[in-house]
Amino acid sequence: MSGAEFGTPQDLAAAYALGALDDAEAKAFEALLARDAELAREVAEYREVAALLALAQPAAAPTSALRARVLAAAPQRQASVIPLRKPGPIWMPWALAASLLLAAWMGAARGRLGLRLEQAYAELAQRNTLLAQRDTLLESRERTLSALLAPGVELYQLTATGDPAPGVQLFWDRKRNTAIIHSFGVKALAADRAYQLWFIQDGKPVPSITFRPEADGRAQVEAIAVPSGAAVTAAAVTEEPLGGSPQPTSAIYLVAKLSGA
Amino acid sequence: MTDAELLARAALGDERAVGTVYDRFGQMMYAVAYRIVRQPGDAEEVVAEAFAQAWRDAGRFEAGRGSVAAWLTVMSRSRALDFVRARARRERITGTAQRSDPERTLGMSAPAVGPDAAVEAKERERRVAEALADLSPPQRTAIELAFFEGLSHSEIAERLNEPLGTVKTRVRLGMLKLRESLKPYFYERFA
Repeated sequence: MSGAEFGTPQDLAAAYALGALDDAEAKAFEALLARDAELAREVAEYREVAALLALAQPAAAPTSALRARVLAAAPQRQASVIPLRKPGPIWMPWALAASLLLAAWMGAARGRLGLRLEQAYAELAQRNTLLAQRDTLLESRERTLSALLAPGVELYQLTATGDPAPGVQLFWDRKRNTAIIHSFGVKALAADRAYQLWFIQDGKPVPSITFRPEADGRAQVEAIAVPSGAAVTAAAVTEEPLGGSPQPTSAIYLVAKLSGA
Repeated sequence: MTDAELLARAALGDERAVGTVYDRFGQMMYAVAYRIVRQPGDAEEVVAEAFAQAWRDAGRFEAGRGSVAAWLTVMSRSRALDFVRARARRERITGTAQRSDPERTLGMSAPAVGPDAAVEAKERERRVAEALADLSPPQRTAIELAFFEGLSHSEIAERLNEPLGTVKTRVRLGMLKLRESLKPYFYERFA
């Protein structure tokens, strides 16, 4: 690159953005630009300066015809896939009629394309929303799975009579002293009722979270704090008012002894 | 919607996006083209060509490497310089030349932007004029020759009969000064 007056590529960034480098200089500069993010930022800023130079010109304004021309030109690019490329002999007798038909057809095609584009955008937006929801769900499940698979996590089944269902799976992460519960097949509740989880510590019930199952009897609650201090010997579920109770007000519905406690 | 999103939609043929891109940047593109080609009709031709190129090349626009405004302005400038060079070749062949005074030949329509955008645009114009006025006349001349006439450092030096190093320094220091004073008015900020 010529120009011994300049020691660093940064010195040439302004000239490059202005288009003041000759071809060889510009090519050499672009090779540097491709691998230097800081230099690219400098050039971007100088391009902003160059763009602003346009505003210092006399207040010339285009006619309204230019806007119409630009508007008309863009959709034509969409319609250009139709086989119109071979120009025929323009003085053939049917040329005028054909042109008119073509113009009408293109107008209709443009309308159809516009409508299809709107539909495509709407569909895309809908799919993006769905995708975002699925991503969120997936992230949540991944977090749950990671929590369940963490070393030291123990699984307990809280059941009514020893039968598999209804039941609550309790995953106890002893290291973090937190738990995740997952209910299945539990009976539906009145609108003002909820299930409440209890940890039994020193023979006494310590209130924990409340939950309401979905219609299929399933529910999942994560990051439940397990009481610390004295050993927790069991976990139980009772039916309580919606906000939960400080002491159980109904018979135990589901229970499990927490072994090794 | 960001300018980059608008550009992408416009390139797909979304007419509303095309109209919005034109309303935001058409005036600026025209101003550059007009300053270079110095004929209203030719400037419109250039801008129409530049937009056509923009729709074709929209996929190459990299949002992190500059604003849509700068990208379109550079495109309009390049098309205008090509136009002037082609016209010069034609004139050399036919021995004809057209003359127009850009100071007197004004357009007929205002840009179709809202009042807030118009106020903002006016403020930008005012600041750019002030920033340019703050440059030394030789710095301003060197920058204008580079941008509006497409001259390289060495061509500017030859045109002004100045040493190459002097021209390079004028361009660099002038642009540095403009960058500092105009940074708040950039179309896009760069972290």
